[in-house]
Amino acid sequence: MERWKQYGGLLGLLVAFTGVGLWGFTATGGALPYAKRFSKALQRGTHDGGGPLVDLGRGIVVAGPIRQGGMVLEWLGLLALLTIVGIGLYVYADRNGPDDGRRVSR
Amino acid sequence: MIIRFIRNYPCVNIEMAHIHLGEGSFPLWALALWTTLGLGLIAIVTYRIRKNGVDPNRIALAGIAAAASFAIFQLNIPVWGGIHMNFTALVGILAGPLLGTIIALVVNVFSAALGHGAIGLLGANTLVNATEAVGAYYGFRWLRRADWDVFPASASAATIGLATGSVLMGAIIVVSGVNGSALPRSELTIAVGGMVGLNLGVAVIEGLLTGFIVRFLASIRPDLIGESTEAERSETAGVSA
Repeated sequence: MERWKQYGGLLGLLVAFTGVGLWGFTATGGALPYAKRFSKALQRGTHDGGGPLVDLGRGIVVAGPIRQGGMVLEWLGLLALLTIVGIGLYVYADRNGPDDGRRVSR
Repeated sequence: MIIRFIRNYPCVNIEMAHIHLGEGSFPLWALALWTTLGLGLIAIVTYRIRKNGVDPNRIALAGIAAAASFAIFQLNIPVWGGIHMNFTALVGILAGPLLGTIIALVVNVFSAALGHGAIGLLGANTLVNATEAVGAYYGFRWLRRADWDVFPASASAATIGLATGSVLMGAIIVVSGVNGSALPRSELTIAVGGMVGLNLGVAVIEGLLTGFIVRFLASIRPDLIGESTEAERSETAGVSA
């Protein structure tokens, strides 16, 4: 397919979804954290609101339930475990895996 | 007292097509329904893996994808008021629909163990996230067969897969109803529709990010996304010529 059609299709999709996203953002209270947004939306229904779409001052934070529950260390531990297992599996498969990529593991 | 507290202030927190309502926010019949459907899906996936097997390289990739998904799942980024991404579409494209479903379950189990998502909603959340992975995988394959480039194919497939998961998430909430919400079903549907709409906006961000990552992987290791390398292509062309 011609490249302009591919990128045009993607652009159309992104523009349409961004538009719907903006409606959802406004209709559910504007720039609110998700927990507050949802409890308000489900208790009181939709209500218009505004605010910045991007709030760099807020930064990237660990999800509330983990942060407030004091589970950040546990999260990091699980993450390290998954990473080590993942890399270990990758190295193992790379050294001992099939050459043609068709052999299957049962 | 606890029940009354939950009823008055439903601990509702739903982000990026991932339901993490507090325990007790769904009626019991809904919990049973979504758990049964989730178990059924896992049973089918497990049966198909046992019957047909999977490429060991894909299992290894699934391990890394699970770690990446679990990491990004817990990070809240300051866009659209504060959301987290899942990478479930990326997981689906890289690990395939079967392993993608297993990863969705594993990530949800670990997240729920940390308090991020209710244990009672594991079935519903697995259904939602598996839908994203499966939708993105088949969307990507279909677009690639239609001769789309890697970036537009992966970004479009990921966005649509995530959007499908968001719609399913909304449908699950509306069908189940939420304990503690005084809204009639029609108003609840509109409110949930607003949240699904917001999730479509989030899908745009995650879709683009997925597109960039898949495009990068395709440039250095095309075999990771199930495509042949340049050398293999020339070899095939040489044989067929």
